[in-house]
Amino acid sequence: MLKRTGALAAGLAAAPLIAACQPGTTTPKGGSGKVVVMTDPHEFGDADVKAIQDATKLKIEVVENDLTRLYAMYAAGNPPDVFRVQAAGIPQYISRKMLKNLQPYFAASKVLKPDDLAPANNFYKWDGKQIGKGDLYGMVKDWSPDFTLYAYTKAFEDAGVKVPSDTAALTYQELHDLAAKVNKKAGAKRVYWGYVHSNNDQWIDRSAMNMLAEKGQSLYSEDFSKANLTGNPEAVKVFRYLYDLAAEGLHQTPVDPSPNWMGADFNNGQIAILQYGYWFSAMAESDTTKGKTVMLPAPTWSGTRRDPTMTATGWVISSQTKDPDAAWAVFETYMGGAPAVARASSGWGVPGLKSLYAKMPTDTPFQKQVAKVLNAELPYSDGVLQFNPYLGEETFSTAWKKHLEPALKGQISFDKFLANIEADVNAAIADGRRIVGQ
Amino acid sequence: MVGATRALERPAVARPAWWRRRRTRRALTFYAFVSPWLVGFIALGAIPLVLALAMSFTNYDGLNLDYIRVVGLDNYARVAGDRDALLSLQRTLVFVGATVALGLVVQLGTALLLDGPVRGRGLFRTLFYLPYVVPVVAGAWVWKIFTDPNGGLLNAIVNVVDPGFAMNWIVEQPTTVLVLFTVWALTGGGMVVFLAGLQGIPSELKEAAQIDGAGSLAVLRHITLPLLTPVILFQVVVSMIWSLQIIQQPLLLAPGILRGPGTLPPQDNYLYIVHAYHEIFVQQRFGYGAALLWLLFLVTLGLTLVIVRSSRRWVHYEEAQ
Repeated sequence: MLKRTGALAAGLAAAPLIAACQPGTTTPKGGSGKVVVMTDPHEFGDADVKAIQDATKLKIEVVENDLTRLYAMYAAGNPPDVFRVQAAGIPQYISRKMLKNLQPYFAASKVLKPDDLAPANNFYKWDGKQIGKGDLYGMVKDWSPDFTLYAYTKAFEDAGVKVPSDTAALTYQELHDLAAKVNKKAGAKRVYWGYVHSNNDQWIDRSAMNMLAEKGQSLYSEDFSKANLTGNPEAVKVFRYLYDLAAEGLHQTPVDPSPNWMGADFNNGQIAILQYGYWFSAMAESDTTKGKTVMLPAPTWSGTRRDPTMTATGWVISSQTKDPDAAWAVFETYMGGAPAVARASSGWGVPGLKSLYAKMPTDTPFQKQVAKVLNAELPYSDGVLQFNPYLGEETFSTAWKKHLEPALKGQISFDKFLANIEADVNAAIADGRRIVGQ
Repeated sequence: MVGATRALERPAVARPAWWRRRRTRRALTFYAFVSPWLVGFIALGAIPLVLALAMSFTNYDGLNLDYIRVVGLDNYARVAGDRDALLSLQRTLVFVGATVALGLVVQLGTALLLDGPVRGRGLFRTLFYLPYVVPVVAGAWVWKIFTDPNGGLLNAIVNVVDPGFAMNWIVEQPTTVLVLFTVWALTGGGMVVFLAGLQGIPSELKEAAQIDGAGSLAVLRHITLPLLTPVILFQVVVSMIWSLQIIQQPLLLAPGILRGPGTLPPQDNYLYIVHAYHEIFVQQRFGYGAALLWLLFLVTLGLTLVIVRSSRRWVHYEEAQ
């Protein structure tokens, strides 16, 4: 009797301990009427939660977006039902069988019709070999053609340079030359950075991928088994271009950094030309830049226009969800219901559904100018970027940033810089391939 | 006779049940009192440590467990060929040496100054202790503002003697800033420990030396410092272990904004733990990262043993009477 009581007591004592060791939520699932959503609370506020709960009669538990926590929840066998992803992570998640194939749900949906899906949703298609083909595994919450530019006209006035046309795309070489003219320092103090891009290099691989794609080339071999940088003359040219922007002090770098993110620097009037998508128009006009900001078309590397999204931020459903129908109900309402309409009207991104395009705001003169450029860019935005399924989202950009500092300090040559990036990325690819038995 | 013998026999007393015995009760009371810490240590310390050790023998990449497999000692062998690991370890050892040495001098110096009859001693003690309780994030921001190239106080001070001087300290001298920031943050804690040590030194020893004609420096050298050596040993070991594990400070002092796991400090501040963190959360090499951390544990253990062993030569303990 005593032994049994002791065992029971030990079990009761251990239960919360074991539960505490399980990262993430302890929400009961499996038809419990509760759906766990891991996302950015700024993109999924109380009003969204309420609208979806009212529409679906399901209870939603929001878990703050955190990659580390997502990994821990997967490892514990208790991932969120629905979670936020970006384009770079999608092929890896799909190839690791972490995502639910949503093709049958899209086929049956009366809200999210395949013909109505914006081209950015192609980032959520994967056939095992390339992005953009095969079944759908998710959907963008909204998106932007992300290679467009924003010009701070005062910087151009100060330099006595004409602001480029908002109807003709610059070449990247023209963009470089223009950036050199408007770039300005006063002693050691920075006045204007000429051209800041790639989300402070976090998306440097995406910039390079798009430039190479204009010539039908890729950053990786066809089977994604290695990065092809030093052996591809066009890739060398692309990276030389990006490196020169940094070396010439036109772009923010580890040796000439800004304490802010590039959007804040633009708002402070410290960047002459900024590369961000349509979403940034919602905040481009600060007290400093109001009336002095224009949106410009995406530049082109070789004359073949391409302006896809770099991020394709959206939602997917975990393959381990215990209640896929409930997860889909939440997903479908967020992507096509009242929350989607509210997002479209906010101007923080192009809607994921073409039928909502008309909701984008065009009230102010700046919004009208932005809408003009955006509408001209949309025909060039149906391409995708081929992310490597064996790499983590930031592996490439971290290798770039890590080796850029010694290169800019003259400790290594450009060739060595590129070779080092290639070696780091290829080592990571080899690890990724070994894990899945290739 | 038989009856008398029986009369002398003590009546049989029933032995209490085991849980009512005094020894058992004392043991249970002890475990009840230590259980909050013990449960916390097992759940948050021992279990993760064992899991990390097990992980270090696998190819686990953090995504899902479907592809996990045992790789033996491969992760440990890989470290020998990892240039970043070796360079970052080298940098870490230099950083630890500088931080511990400078930290000890500052902590001991401050304690010596504030041990005497100084006007406003309590206020100064509080002020010096303050950085120790300031959260590391706030402290890093203070230092970023202090060393800012455009309008930072440090450049303004240098400008007094060198007009026109402008340096982006966290870019050009990142390790200097990191060491100074770390020493600044640790001074208060170390100062309190040294003050306690100083107050434990019998005043008659100092007085006897002074009567024999010893000056302040001689008293410090021949009385105070030798009697403080056990405290110095403690501070050296604790500061070394703490500095070897530093991670938030180099990341928080990185130029630019923090971008989650992808945040990179300047090359000179890319320390061993930062490398392990990157291997785990950027390169998705959880198994390898765990191996790196276990190797750091061995390095820490080895250095501690060397210091403790060397202490026989320079630490003076009071002789037992």
